[in-house]
Amino acid sequence: MRSATKEKRPAGQKQYYRRKKVCKFCVERIDTINYKDVKLLSQFVPERAKIMPRRISGVCSPHQRQLNAAIKKARNIALLPFATE
Amino acid sequence: MRNYEIMFIVNPNATDEEVDKINGQIEGIITSGGGKIEKIEKMGKRRLAYEVDKQREGHYVLIVMGANGDIVKECERRLRVMDAVIKYITVRTDEEVRRFEKIRNYRQKRAARRSSGASAAPSQSSEEAMQ
Repeated sequence: MRSATKEKRPAGQKQYYRRKKVCKFCVERIDTINYKDVKLLSQFVPERAKIMPRRISGVCSPHQRQLNAAIKKARNIALLPFATE
Repeated sequence: MRNYEIMFIVNPNATDEEVDKINGQIEGIITSGGGKIEKIEKMGKRRLAYEVDKQREGHYVLIVMGANGDIVKECERRLRVMDAVIKYITVRTDEEVRRFEKIRNYRQKRAARRSSGASAAPSQSSEEAMQ
């Protein structure tokens, strides 16, 4: 299989097309990430209620930092869970 | 003067009047200490994300205010001793607002520059990447 793809693609290139991830907050121009906005925050806390890592969500690092702070505040006031039972 | 938000949760078994009474007390502390209340919002009964004091629901109240550290300290002390209040959080908001305004100003300036001429075009892509 490798030799077959070799002629088409240069070495090291991914064998399938992956969509480029973009930061949701940059694209939609969301400036402030508020801890009260549960609907927005819950998009970044999957089932186990952990904070979604940047490598999966594609959020840029300044926004990820804000997002982290917001999620932790929301957890503090019981808007978001710390963990699911 | 700094801007703060206090959000607290009142026991779900409390009546509407009791919630109002607590609001009134907190309001009294803030105004008598020289603070300014911008908004008191009762967000109604909500499900809690986890159990607090054996409760799964609670009345949420949000108070937005301009105050100083002493007022906040006093409010938190009072909320702590109130039996009906099961949880509270205080968040300082003025820094966040300032940052937001800075970004907005920057964006407006850039929009103005862009419409005035194409001279700013080469630097645009790097700015786009930043934001």
